[in-house]
Amino acid sequence: MTERTKAIIEQINMDNEEAIGKALAQSEKLTDLSAEEKAELAAAYSTLFFHDYAGRSGMTRLAMRAEKQIAKFGASVLGFLISELTDADHESSAHFGRAIAANGKDAVQPVMDALNKNRENDFAMINLLGALAYFRDGETLKAMPEILVAAKAKNPQVRSAALYAAGRLARHIGSDAFDAGTTLKMFDTAFEALTDRVPLVRYNAARALGKMLTKGMLTGEQEGKMGKKFDGILGKENNWDNAFIVRHEAAKYVQYFRQDGSAKNKYFQSFRVLQKRELCPDTYYYTIQAPLIAKKLEAGQFIIIRPSEYSERIPLSICGWDREKGTINIIVAAAGRTSREITQMPVGACLADIVGPLGQKAHVKKHEGTCVVIGGGYGTGAVMPTARALKALGNRVIGVVGARNKSLLLMVDELKGICDEVMTTTNDGTDGIQGFVTHALEAILKRGETISHVLAIGPVPMMIAVSNMTKPLNIETYVSLNAIMVDGTGMCGACRVSVGGQTKFACFHGPDFNGHEVDFDQLMKRQKMFVAQEKEALAAAE
Amino acid sequence: MAELSTKERMAIKFVHMPLNKAELRIHNFEEVPVGYTLEQAKQEAQRCIQCKKPGCIEGCPVGIDIPAFIHLIEQGKVAEAAKKIRETNFLPAACGRVCPQDKQCQALCVVGKKAEPVGIGGLERFAADWEREHGTYILPEIPAATGKKVAVVGSGPAGLTAAYELRIRGHEVVVFEAFHRGGGVMVYGIPRFRLPLDIIDEDIHMLEKIGVQFVYDMIIGKVLTLDDLLVNEKFDAVFIASGAGLPKMLGIKGENSSGVYSANEYLTRIYLMQALKFPKYATPLYQGKRVAVIGAGNTAMDTLRTAKRLGADVTCYYRRTRAEAPARTEELEHAEQEFLNWKWLHNPVEIIADENNFVKAIKCEKMALSEPDSSGRRKPVGTGEFVVDDVDTIVFSLGCDVNPIIPSTDKEVRINKWGIVMVDQKTCQTSKPGVFAGGDAITGGSTVILAMGQAKNAAVGIDRYLKGELKWADANVPTDPNAPGVQWEGRFSAGKR
Repeated sequence: MTERTKAIIEQINMDNEEAIGKALAQSEKLTDLSAEEKAELAAAYSTLFFHDYAGRSGMTRLAMRAEKQIAKFGASVLGFLISELTDADHESSAHFGRAIAANGKDAVQPVMDALNKNRENDFAMINLLGALAYFRDGETLKAMPEILVAAKAKNPQVRSAALYAAGRLARHIGSDAFDAGTTLKMFDTAFEALTDRVPLVRYNAARALGKMLTKGMLTGEQEGKMGKKFDGILGKENNWDNAFIVRHEAAKYVQYFRQDGSAKNKYFQSFRVLQKRELCPDTYYYTIQAPLIAKKLEAGQFIIIRPSEYSERIPLSICGWDREKGTINIIVAAAGRTSREITQMPVGACLADIVGPLGQKAHVKKHEGTCVVIGGGYGTGAVMPTARALKALGNRVIGVVGARNKSLLLMVDELKGICDEVMTTTNDGTDGIQGFVTHALEAILKRGETISHVLAIGPVPMMIAVSNMTKPLNIETYVSLNAIMVDGTGMCGACRVSVGGQTKFACFHGPDFNGHEVDFDQLMKRQKMFVAQEKEALAAAE
Repeated sequence: MAELSTKERMAIKFVHMPLNKAELRIHNFEEVPVGYTLEQAKQEAQRCIQCKKPGCIEGCPVGIDIPAFIHLIEQGKVAEAAKKIRETNFLPAACGRVCPQDKQCQALCVVGKKAEPVGIGGLERFAADWEREHGTYILPEIPAATGKKVAVVGSGPAGLTAAYELRIRGHEVVVFEAFHRGGGVMVYGIPRFRLPLDIIDEDIHMLEKIGVQFVYDMIIGKVLTLDDLLVNEKFDAVFIASGAGLPKMLGIKGENSSGVYSANEYLTRIYLMQALKFPKYATPLYQGKRVAVIGAGNTAMDTLRTAKRLGADVTCYYRRTRAEAPARTEELEHAEQEFLNWKWLHNPVEIIADENNFVKAIKCEKMALSEPDSSGRRKPVGTGEFVVDDVDTIVFSLGCDVNPIIPSTDKEVRINKWGIVMVDQKTCQTSKPGVFAGGDAITGGSTVILAMGQAKNAAVGIDRYLKGELKWADANVPTDPNAPGVQWEGRFSAGKR
């Protein structure tokens, strides 16, 4: 025992909050600990885990600091922690579990080894499964087969610990990390456990299924099966689960099932929000589950969204999709009542309807000169698919993003990943060129580049400015028109726009049109048709 | 009850179906005709002389055994009567309300030659309502599965009928609908005061019960193409019943002003998106105090009467006269009771907007009818006299073209120059093997009952095709782009819808 560890350990053993706090502060500063010192400190700190802290929240906080401290000691103390864990009581096992899990993927294999070694030791199994529940790393899924075997163990405590771990992993490890086979096995195991003899097992099974559901891991068919079962648990079919904890848990997830039971078949899409990220105030980037739509989307097309029974159907541009994962990405800025409703939807919630892909594909081909895609406001997301398509054809693509100030510039980094070059413009000069997107166009022309294709998506004044600038220069310019729509399939004609003197339907003939031919003045005025009603609708919702 | 003689039957007075009072009904969206009571229905049924050669059956696109069901009502066996209708008509409650009986069955009624024809539509409605209210309907028996799968595109009258006809022949049926609810034009186009929503929902629910699957928010042609359905999804046949969803406009100056709607948009906002319950439902409707409706078909009547119920001063503009108005007589009469203004022989030539692009006035040319031409039609010709009326909302109700999504994404499905899907008149086969079409998609805009009639035809064709009795090589699909859409070969021209 070295001098420095001795002093720390003495303070820990005093069982005094102040002393332990000091000890932690000291050891947190130490950097060059030897393996021996680490082992000594870990042993000392782990004694904190065994205390009964009832009513002493200060001590609990110190114990959690100790967990982090131990975790930093890394692999050399893992063996010790795991062996302590297998004997630990329920309270202290959580501390050990967190300390182990904090080691990330390095700790997965040792825990799995311990699981194998302790097959016959139910007590150890429960604690080890509990520790697995604290892992956050995709690597942990290697242990899933072991966990699912444990979910069928003889001891109900083991079964419930295993299902608890499965549920935690579904919740905390991104759904991307799960392959279809693992998901299927997890679903089947948990689903079977819903009829377990022991309420605690059923409770953890319902919980695990619920987490899988809210993370969008289930297929339509599985969701339908589960929805029916949960309805049963809640007594919709006269044979409810007699344990309150199970019913209570099941009830938490009922809101996440699509209300329309008839739609639960092969072609069912849950339209679940899988990810949500705030880009700037009131503007969010969403990843939504819509496998059939994702499979067919093409650059330039759009979707119609109706978030709830009471909402309008509103058209939205697409900023990307993943055909494999069956997801689509959109940017929603809270403007009217319905877009605000979407921005208020949390991860796990389902949109009532998404219809698409609608409209015609973007006009992309190989151009001689440079292609410039210009995005203003949330339109920046909408140019991304077309930029990708242009790039895929071997074009040189420059992205231009404009906003009022730096904090409102959206998707610049994402666009940089697609385009050869990205320029930004801000009205106040806080980022990139000061001024408007047209100034960026001028800059490109000034340096002698030939522009042969421009796509501008954003607020109408921006699209007007771009079209007005490119018209005398005879540069092909497309704009995407966000006319008011109702059905989006050409049935109602609400989205009529004048293009080249002819009436066109933005939903069917568009949304991309030749910017030099669009009657923007009429478009702007038609967009204002329902301004008064929109205010009223918004007021009514608040 | 002793059997009545023909003479006695002829002497019975026609029982008018009671209507809600015009003064009251223009303030609500309740159904206008309230329906017969059992006594009234029995009395009206007695007027049917049970002729040996009934013209009415010939006049019915789906061939309901009309004298038989009327006789059952006369005997008080209403549930049996409804069952009789169900043998051939799967949507009796809807048809009893929205069929143009005056141009079909009732027009050929033998009694009608001397007096008012028997109120067949009213009796059909009575039987269907009785069945629904008394719960006497028994689900049809589904034969053993044939192992064949049919995709039906669209859940309007044609789609629902085809789904039913195919399901009761033992095929697996999946209905794909682009909207978030089923019913098609019966929901988004026909007002609630003509056809309450629960009637449509009841029928859809019945289809679900017999095993028809419904898929909403699904655009065939975009999400799944016809080839996807036939090849990847292993459907043995596809029935296109996507309807006439592309509204016609006049192409006159100012028609893109704010406050100018197509009837489709206007009615969709109100009836599908529930703008009536704004702001609880978020879909808005802008409507001013003076509404002009252009056209005089059934949809125009629906629009006129809807606008009136929303409290506006409403005027109908039509370039011909009342006699040529294509609307169903009953609708025209009901509309005329509802304090509307009529401007016959007025042809809109320009829409005048204010500086914010909102409609201010409509300019019309007064028309006159020419002498009848070779086809007997009297064409409207301009007189050179113009009038300008102040209006703030205009609704175009000029009919629709066929929805272009499927033909535009699958070139194998041949269309004529108006975009109407070309089919073999007898079997409803299109030019693409395995694909059939019916309803407004092949007529370019017609009625609920005609769509149903075609769907029945097509279902027979599809059934034969699935059994291997129908070959694609024998299909007679017109190749001439000028060929017209399918017309009903009945004795009377069909009204709009």
